[in-house]
Amino acid sequence: MSENNEQRDEQGHDDGHHVNYFKIYVILLILFAISVVGPEVDELTGLRWITLITAFGIAFVKARLVVNNFMHLAWERRIAKWLLASSLILLLLFVAGVAPDVMNHEGNNWENVAAKQAVERGLAAASGYSEEEAESEGPVEEVIAAGFSAQNSFGQICATCHGVGGEGDGIAGAALDPAPASFIDPVFWQGRDRDRVITVIRDGAAAVGGSALMAPWGALYTDDQLEQMADYVMSFRPNQ
Amino acid sequence: MAHARPIATTRSATGIPTPRLAVWWILASEVVIFGGLLGAYLMHRIGHPEWAEAASHTQTWIGAVNTFVLLTSSFTAVLAHQAAEKGKGKEAAKLLAFTILGALTFLMIKSYEWTIEIMAGYTITANTFWSFYYTAAGLHALHVIAGAIIMGFIAVDAYRGRELHRVEIIGIYWHFVDVVWIFLFPLLYIAK
Repeated sequence: MSENNEQRDEQGHDDGHHVNYFKIYVILLILFAISVVGPEVDELTGLRWITLITAFGIAFVKARLVVNNFMHLAWERRIAKWLLASSLILLLLFVAGVAPDVMNHEGNNWENVAAKQAVERGLAAASGYSEEEAESEGPVEEVIAAGFSAQNSFGQICATCHGVGGEGDGIAGAALDPAPASFIDPVFWQGRDRDRVITVIRDGAAAVGGSALMAPWGALYTDDQLEQMADYVMSFRPNQ
Repeated sequence: MAHARPIATTRSATGIPTPRLAVWWILASEVVIFGGLLGAYLMHRIGHPEWAEAASHTQTWIGAVNTFVLLTSSFTAVLAHQAAEKGKGKEAAKLLAFTILGALTFLMIKSYEWTIEIMAGYTITANTFWSFYYTAAGLHALHVIAGAIIMGFIAVDAYRGRELHRVEIIGIYWHFVDVVWIFLFPLLYIAK
């Protein structure tokens, strides 16, 4: 062990600086408390910049305290600081280099259509969320509100029993008796029309004298969405 | 010391002991790894106002408790370093054990949090915000796991009074993991 101690002395690392670690820890906790309370003050006063300062400004102060006092970078040889600084500079160069492309969605001769659509879709879904949330909570409802597509909804809900291909071979359907209907079976479609499909999706199969295992899903869909779901189910119907 | 040490362990052209120089190198590369990820997140966040809705669903209080846990574990790690410098191996080992306990607490809270999110349908594929959320916090959690494991070995050695200088090395790494979380916390939980 003496070897290590000698080494330490040679490096001049422990050359008598005394950090009161507990004090640093308490300061960190106080700063942390401020960063948590920041958004609340922000909400009360309506001053948006408060959060920016309490969240990110304080993060830098905290990081500095930890790096200097806990990691002892303040007392470290200069080359270690240069090492970390060059890494940081390269990082900032990278960020600055890509920022114009990432943060803008259009420029002189280009337009990021996908990003623009993502923003539109997201904002539309977000406004849908709040209405929907009041009455229902849970993954299924939210997925549907977030951007309805009959195909996706079929994949998330119906396919569990009826299978992704509508063949009645979904995982959860394997144990059901009677087995889930296969939409590619011509026999199944005898005597069934679009209205009946809509009714069954909305009110459950029991409503038309079928199995109660086909649950009513009306609460999840608007009338228009119900029609889209029915059309999607009908699309499995084999041509005769 | 029955066996000879490799030359690289003691030789140092920079004036910094080799193990500590090595950990600075690791952290220099980590700066780019985490910095790149967080920078990409920040740029997308600013370019996509719709992420605010998704971000409003993160569990601020769970994130806050975890911040407290990591800050405290950093504190015990630096106390372990202090003890090791005074040659008190057993005390250093005990403090490292507390730090590992902090890591485990952090990970348990994280698992609980992720379970809530996933049950609510916010999975890594839900949208790009959640992809970043799981990638950034997941990469950080991997660092927590790695740090806790290495700290376990070092604590055992320290308890026997061996390789006490390593307590400082793992400490520096651990504080870096703390610093990453100091930035992740406002990015994912506070700025809504």
